[in-house]
Amino acid sequence: MSRSIILGQYLPGESLIHRLNPRLKILTLVLILILLFTLETYSALAAFLAFALLLFALAKVPFRYLLRGLRPVLFIALFALVIYFFFTSGGIVLVRIGFITVESEGVIEGLFIVTRLAALVLFSLLVTLTTTPLSLTHGMGYFLKPLRYVGLPAEEVAMIMSVSLRFIPTLMEESQRLMRAQLARGADFETGSIFRKARSLVPLIVPLFVSAFRRADELALAMEARCYRIGAKRTRMHEDVILPRDWAVLAFVIMLLFVTYTFGF
Amino acid sequence: MVSRSAAIVEAKNVDYYYPGEGETVWPALSGINLTVAQGEYVALIGPNGSGKTTLLKLFNALLTPFGGEILVQGISTANEETLPAVRQACGMIFQNPDNQLVATTVEEDIAFGLENLALPPAEIRRRVEDVACLLGLRKLLRQPPHLLSGGEKQKVAIAGVLAMEPRCILMDEPTAMLDPAGRQDVIDTVRDLNKRQGIAVVHVTHFPEEAAWADRIVVLNEGQLIVQGSPEDVLTDLSLLHELKLQGPAAVELAALLREDGYRLPPQILHNRELVDSICSLERKN
Amino acid sequence: MFIGTEKLTHTYMPGTPFATEALQDVSFNLQQGEFALIIGPSGSGKSTLIQHLNGLLRPTSGRVLFEGIAVGSNKHELLRLRRRIGLVFQIPEEQFFSESVFDEIAFAPRNLGLDESEVEKRVNESLEKVGMQAEKFRNRHPFRLSAGQKRLVAIAAVLSLQPEVLIFDEPTVGLDAISRKNLYNLLTALNQKDGLTVIISTHHLDQAAALADSVLVLNQGRLVMAGPAENIFNKRKQLYELGLTLPPVTEIMHELAEKGLPVKTAVYTLQEARGEIKNMKRRYKP
Repeated sequence: MSRSIILGQYLPGESLIHRLNPRLKILTLVLILILLFTLETYSALAAFLAFALLLFALAKVPFRYLLRGLRPVLFIALFALVIYFFFTSGGIVLVRIGFITVESEGVIEGLFIVTRLAALVLFSLLVTLTTTPLSLTHGMGYFLKPLRYVGLPAEEVAMIMSVSLRFIPTLMEESQRLMRAQLARGADFETGSIFRKARSLVPLIVPLFVSAFRRADELALAMEARCYRIGAKRTRMHEDVILPRDWAVLAFVIMLLFVTYTFGF
Repeated sequence: MVSRSAAIVEAKNVDYYYPGEGETVWPALSGINLTVAQGEYVALIGPNGSGKTTLLKLFNALLTPFGGEILVQGISTANEETLPAVRQACGMIFQNPDNQLVATTVEEDIAFGLENLALPPAEIRRRVEDVACLLGLRKLLRQPPHLLSGGEKQKVAIAGVLAMEPRCILMDEPTAMLDPAGRQDVIDTVRDLNKRQGIAVVHVTHFPEEAAWADRIVVLNEGQLIVQGSPEDVLTDLSLLHELKLQGPAAVELAALLREDGYRLPPQILHNRELVDSICSLERKN
Repeated sequence: MFIGTEKLTHTYMPGTPFATEALQDVSFNLQQGEFALIIGPSGSGKSTLIQHLNGLLRPTSGRVLFEGIAVGSNKHELLRLRRRIGLVFQIPEEQFFSESVFDEIAFAPRNLGLDESEVEKRVNESLEKVGMQAEKFRNRHPFRLSAGQKRLVAIAAVLSLQPEVLIFDEPTVGLDAISRKNLYNLLTALNQKDGLTVIISTHHLDQAAALADSVLVLNQGRLVMAGPAENIFNKRKQLYELGLTLPPVTEIMHELAEKGLPVKTAVYTLQEARGEIKNMKRRYKP
C-alpha cells in the first residue's frame, strides 16, 4: 500500500539533466519561462518547442509522461482556442456560421498562445520530472533566503517543507487505513446529499487530525532530542555545490536565449 | 551495584511533576537518585505511569527537573547553552519508529543530528557512511523512510543517534511496535554497541526477557525508585514483580511453580538455559 | 466450509512498475466457531488477507467465500457481509471521533439504520460484553479513558454490529501485560461463550498460541503452512526461519525435549508446563 504512493512526479534517472544543480535548474527554468512570454514569432517558438523535446529525449523521459503532463492544461488550451477563434477579428474570414465568424488572425493567435502554453508546461514538467521533491524544496529554499531580511524564517520554512514531504506518504496511508476501518463499521462515504456526504467525513477527519497532532508532538520531541534548535546554525550533508558543468549549461541556455531573442528567426 | 569508573548520567534527588487539572499537580517522579556508569546496560522497568519515560526525557534534557539536578558527563541539563553537548552525549530512541524519522531519505535522516551540530559536510558524510556500514544499512541509504520495515526504521533511528558519537543511548520501549524478527535485530544491535563500543544504555522495556540481559535493573513505581540490583536479584523476586503487576521471565515464573511442586531448583534461575539444565540434572539423578 | 478463500491473489498497483504481489494463490477454509490465528512476519500479507475477508479489498483473482458463497462487489451485499463479519483494526482506538463512549459505539448500529431504542440496547449490551458497566462509561469522553479501556470500547464499537465472525489485526499491540491478559480473556469468552468465530492476525504468539484451534502461516504473500495449532507450533525450526518465535514457555519445553526428556512440546501456558513436567516422571515407567 505504502508503495503505491509516489511523491511528486520525480522519475529516477542518471542523465545530465537529472544531475544538474537544482538551484541552477530552477534559475534556468525561470529564465526560459520569462523568455517564452516575450517571444513573438512562430519560428522562435518552434525552436523552443524543439529544444524542449530534445531535452526530454536527453533526460530519457518516456513519451507518455509528456502526454500525461500536458493533460491537465488541455481544458485551458481548448478554452483559449475557442476565445481566440471566435472573438479575435482580422485577416481573412475562414468560416462563417450565422453571425459568428472565424477569421485568420484569431486562428493564428490562438494557436500561438496554445503552443506557448504547451512549451511553458513542458519546460516546467522537465524540471519536476528530473528533480527529487527534496532537491526542489532545497532549491526553492535557497531563493527564499534573501527574504530573511524582511523577517521570513527561510531556514525554518525549508525545514517545514521537507518534513511535510517526509510525512505526506505516512498520512496518506493513514487516511486510507482509517477509511477502511470506518467502512468496516458500516460507514458510507458515497451516498446521500452533499450535506450528508460532508457529515460522513467527520469520522475520517477527526481521527486524522488527532493523529497528525500526536505525530507532530512526537516528531518535535525527536527533533529536539537530536539537537535541532530554531535559529541555530546548521550545515548540510550534501553541499549544494555548483559544478563547472552547471555553469556551462546556464551559459549555453543564456546564449541560446539571446540568439533567439535578438534574431527572432 | 556495578561500580565502574566514570558516571555518564547522574540524577540527584530529582523531582518532576506534570501540571494536573485545576490547581493540583500530579507528581511524576520524586526523590530519584540514580547513576549510570560508563558502558553500563541499565534496564528500567515498572508499570504504566510509573515515570520511566519521564526519567528518560529528563536524562536527554527534553524536560528539566523541578527539584534536584541531572548531570550528563558532569554537565547540568538545566543550562540552555550546554544543551547540544548533553543531547549529543545522551541520544534518545523513541517507541514509535514512524514519528522520529525527520528526513525524506535514510542518509539525510542519519545526518540530521550532525547537521544540527553544524559539522563540516565532509565529516557528516564520513560518519553517515561509517555508521551505515556498522549497522548494515548501506543498501537503504537512498530509500525513503516510509518504505522501511519497523525494525529497519528503529535501526535508522539508532544510526542517527550513533553518528553523533554518544556515550549513552536512552531507549523508550524501542521494540514495542516491532515483529519478533525486528525486535531481535534491534536488541542485538544495541547489545553489540554496548559490548563492543562501551556505549551505556538505559532501556525502558516491558519484556522481562529483554531486561534479563541488562547489567542492572531499576524498578520504578508511582514516581519512586523502589529497588535496583542485578537481574538475578530483581527479576527473580516474583512477589515484588507481581505486586507491581509485572511479570518475571518465563523461566523464573516456571521455576517458582516447580519449586512449589517440590523440585529443588537453584535460587537464581533467570534464563531458559539455566532452568532446562537444572531440570535435566535433577531428572538424571532420579 | 464457513469462511475461507480460493486461490486468492491480490496485486497492489497492477500494471505499473510499482506492482507488488501482496497475496498469491491463498486457499484455506475455517469452520464456524473456530479460534484461528494468521501469523507471519511483517509484510507477509496478513493485513491484506483479513481485509479481503471483510470485503474491504477486491481480489485481483480468486475468490473469498463466506458460507460457501463468493463475496460479491455489490454495495448492499458488502454492507450485509460487514454486519456479519466484524473487523477490528490495529490500534482501533485511533478511529475515535465522538464526544461520548455511547456515540462511538452507536456509530455502527446507526449506520445500519436501526432505530434509536435498538441502538441504545446494542450499545449497552456491547459495553457489558467487554466488561464495562454501561451506566458508568456511556457518557465518558472516549479520548480520556485509559489505554486498556480505550481498546475495549473500540472492540465494543465493532461488537455493536452483532457479528458472527470477529477478526482482529494485532489486538494487543501497545497494551501492558494486565490489559493484554484481560483482552485475551475477553476473546476466549467471545469465542467459547458467545460462539463467535475469532480470527486473529498477529506476530505475538505469547497469549494467542494457547487459544488457537488452527493456524495459517503466511510468508511473502503465500500460505506456507496451515493446520491444527499443535501441528504448526511443533515446527519450531521452520517458524524460527520465518522470524516467528514461540511463547517463552513453549521454547523451554522444546529445549527440554531436545535434551531428551519425554515432554510434550505443545504447551503454551505456565500451568500446562508445570503439569507436563510433573507428569514426566510417570512416563519414565510405562
